[in-house]
Amino acid sequence: MTLTLIQVIVSGLLVGAVYALFSSGLTLIWGMMNVINFGHGDFVMVGMYTAFVVMMWLHGGAGWIGPAAGLLLFALGVAVYYGLIRPVMRGPMLAQILSTFGLALFIRYTAFWIFSANFVTLPEGALGGTINLGGIYLGMPQLIAGIVAIALTIGMYLLLTHTRVGSQLLAVSEDRNAAMLMGIRPDRMQALAWGLASAAAGIAGALMAAIYPISPTIGETLALTAFVVVTFGGFGSVPGALLAGLMIGVVQALSAYWFGPIYRDVAVYAIFVLMLWVRPQGLLGTA
Amino acid sequence: MGGRRALPYLAVTAIVLVYPLVFSGAFMGRLGALVLLSAIGASSWNILGGYAGQISVGHAMFYGIGAYVPLMAYKLWELPPVVGMPVAIVFSLVVATLIGFPTFRLVGHYFSMATIAVAELIRIVISNWDFVGGAIGLMGPAVSRTVLDLSFKSSVPYYYLFLAVLAVVLGVTWHLQRSRTGYYLRAIKAGDRAARSLGVPVRRYKLFALLLSAGFTSVAGSLYALMIGFADPDSVFGLLISVEMIIVAALGGAGRLFGPLIGAAILVPLREFSNSLFGGGSSGFTYILFGGIIMLIARFEPGGLMEIGRRAVALFRKPVHAA
Amino acid sequence: MLGLMWRGLLVGSLAVAASAAVRADDVVKIGSIYPLTGVAASAGNYAKQAIEIGEDIVNSPHPGLEKLLLGEGKGLPNLKGAKIQVDFADHQGNPSVGQSQTLRLITEDKVVAMLGAYQSSVSFSATAVAERYGIPFLVADSSAPNITGRGFKWTFRPTPIGTDFAKIYSKFLTELKAQGTKVDNVAFVFENTDYGTSVSSVVSDAIKAAGLNVVAMISYSANSTDVSPQVLQLRDKKPDVVIFISYTADAILYMKSMKTLDYKPPIEIADDSGFSDPAFVTSVGNLAQGVVNRSAWSMGPPGSPTAIINELYKAKSGQNLDDTSGRIMQGFFVLADAINRAGSTDPAAIQKALIATDIKPDQLMMGYNGVKFDETGQNILASSYLIQLQGKEYVSVWPAANATAKLVLPYKGWE
Repeated sequence: MTLTLIQVIVSGLLVGAVYALFSSGLTLIWGMMNVINFGHGDFVMVGMYTAFVVMMWLHGGAGWIGPAAGLLLFALGVAVYYGLIRPVMRGPMLAQILSTFGLALFIRYTAFWIFSANFVTLPEGALGGTINLGGIYLGMPQLIAGIVAIALTIGMYLLLTHTRVGSQLLAVSEDRNAAMLMGIRPDRMQALAWGLASAAAGIAGALMAAIYPISPTIGETLALTAFVVVTFGGFGSVPGALLAGLMIGVVQALSAYWFGPIYRDVAVYAIFVLMLWVRPQGLLGTA
Repeated sequence: MGGRRALPYLAVTAIVLVYPLVFSGAFMGRLGALVLLSAIGASSWNILGGYAGQISVGHAMFYGIGAYVPLMAYKLWELPPVVGMPVAIVFSLVVATLIGFPTFRLVGHYFSMATIAVAELIRIVISNWDFVGGAIGLMGPAVSRTVLDLSFKSSVPYYYLFLAVLAVVLGVTWHLQRSRTGYYLRAIKAGDRAARSLGVPVRRYKLFALLLSAGFTSVAGSLYALMIGFADPDSVFGLLISVEMIIVAALGGAGRLFGPLIGAAILVPLREFSNSLFGGGSSGFTYILFGGIIMLIARFEPGGLMEIGRRAVALFRKPVHAA
Repeated sequence: MLGLMWRGLLVGSLAVAASAAVRADDVVKIGSIYPLTGVAASAGNYAKQAIEIGEDIVNSPHPGLEKLLLGEGKGLPNLKGAKIQVDFADHQGNPSVGQSQTLRLITEDKVVAMLGAYQSSVSFSATAVAERYGIPFLVADSSAPNITGRGFKWTFRPTPIGTDFAKIYSKFLTELKAQGTKVDNVAFVFENTDYGTSVSSVVSDAIKAAGLNVVAMISYSANSTDVSPQVLQLRDKKPDVVIFISYTADAILYMKSMKTLDYKPPIEIADDSGFSDPAFVTSVGNLAQGVVNRSAWSMGPPGSPTAIINELYKAKSGQNLDDTSGRIMQGFFVLADAINRAGSTDPAAIQKALIATDIKPDQLMMGYNGVKFDETGQNILASSYLIQLQGKEYVSVWPAANATAKLVLPYKGWE
């Protein structure tokens, strides 16, 4: 029984790491610019399809899916920033919500149009099989996703705190005008943030493609999960997103195992709501 | 209102009143009723989201309660569903108060996120609760037993019923926007801190707007249940319901009296006709268009169509008075 | 003089009516609503293609299909060879849109009957509209039990439902038990919307009535991102039989998770739907070898009518015909046949013909025992085979009379 419990926790951690991966981008944007991206889940979906196209249509190897998705989504993120977000940011909040929601619909149904509604998957074993560590099974795709998630999170955190570009990004998020006075170009920084965040989402998607079946409508559920993770971890805190992702993954797994799968979502939303009321800035966020 | 300025409003009212007589086909009649229903929901949302600036993305919880309680009244006691409508309003108000009190401490995105989470929580609970039909949902009277069942074959009675309700909602909103409460809500919309410094009891008025909004949204849900005769967790508690209310209101012009109606008049036919236009085509092209339109509105004219209209009218007027 | 005018008017209007009647008989229109966009769009599009093949079979000759209903391809013989035409509409998975589209098809396209709708929620609400307008509505696929049984007079359902599957599964398991296979502990894993919940409850009741133990009822959300805890729960309970009631994405997810966690039940049964989706077989078929599925569709040997139909469908859609789409196509044939027997486009006559339906198994493409509707509109002769995934295809393995291959146990999974 204990072995199973450990397995449950380990599986939860691995899922959680993937959550953290695609949420870390969202928290960056949110913290920096106070913008909710309703289309974030669909960015992840685009990453998934990119992996599919690379492997199945272009016959590339599995090693290409991450970089391909990352680059494509980086470009998409920057384009969306300049085309949609920058003009809308100065407007009323309603416009901000609407803009990314329209974006989500647009991307989702374009994918629908191109790929149709059928589920597709990457070939089984695209990223390797299963490892057995003393009775605990770890799926290779999940493990890789988890490791990449942690690496990217650490990487992003280091980028933000230890590099010049990073401090410029942080400066813009703290005080846009002051940053401008200091010679930093806020638009460039914010575009960069969007690019990085979207790239992270894309890479997450590419990795998830090896685990989950892909379809155009998968974005909506993913977006909700990302929101929960980000709010829980604290807006703007990349380490917070990692911590929150892992915790939520474990909570989900344990609730599902002990109480039944329905309680999975109930537990998460309930904790989320509680968190919002008790500590809205999240675990590691600043008020 | 001055005579000339009232003209467009009178024209619209006339059109709206005679619509079912001009477009007498069953499908067009139903379309009209659906437009009004959507307008009621969006106008209800508008009170909280458009006028008070609190963007709730979870209004489906009130809509769902409004749809479910009457159908439960039918399921449990074979009552005409409409009897459940006032009970649904009470439930919605209770839920609104329970949610409102803690949630209004949050501002901006936090508030919106909280509303999504609570609505989703309610939806999941309902989905798994057999007593209220679980995932299968609830049905209304299959065939009308008495007039009270409000189960009509033709859409025309629904049209006029919905019109009456919409008139009430808009009437209340109109009165609100000219009253002191309306002034307070506008101040709150501009910013909590600024409003407080003006001496506005922010918490109290936010709650008031929420209660009013929730009550009307509940009515909209009940009307849906009456006309469609069926409700399940996805069709009345789902995220899409909340989002649709926002999009309809924003497209026409959130915070404007007739914004939601205009938004509904565009969006609902678009959805219904896309079916016939693309002949059941599987491309989902409508939604690509939808998404594109929403993005354009948000990007170029967040004030919605009414704002675009106002600017266009202003453009026409200028040369006349320029001399 | 007035008399002359009135007579002229009478003759004139009769002529117009007659010509209209003649024109109407050239094409008989039925309406069909399916989810062509939205989450179930994949199934909806297969359904549309299946119906279109059916349309083609009725309207033009295809050698080898003569024994089937209207298989001679001469249109509707009792209506002077009028061709049948299906007008499709997309209900987007939304009950309200389903009603609107049904209304439009009935009042504007003037269809004489309706066919649909995949999701039970849409079938529920759309049939209510047809009931009010007195138009027969054939529900070819939705499984919620009380779609029939609301006292509706215009709703008919030829497809087997939960209670039928319950009989099949319990019979199958009881037979296995008699042959010495251990089947006493059964676990159910089902998605938590109307489909999974209603089928699992009916089947588990039947299983218990057959004297077996239900050791777990695991319900989950179809868009779960992780099902490891559920698989681990199953591993704990060690059932002899696991019965899955899932849609496509979750079915795929389960197979992958079971491989990762190295869990294989001795017998794995799947209730159609997700496991029958061609995408399932393509993606994880090699991980689910030996899964027993229920299907009323069996492709049959080459040259048989079912094989010919499969070829036609495959040419159009690129996939083999699956059970759900097959049942929909069969529903179309039943409806077309009823219109033919009515000999008229009057909906009331079609309704009478449907009530009188009594089709023999050899006229069907699906493996029902026939088609005969009871007073609630449900087909009491509906039934299914059990098929098993062996290699890249499902083959029928039970009952013995319809088996084309031998049942292989235990479940192989990914071996």
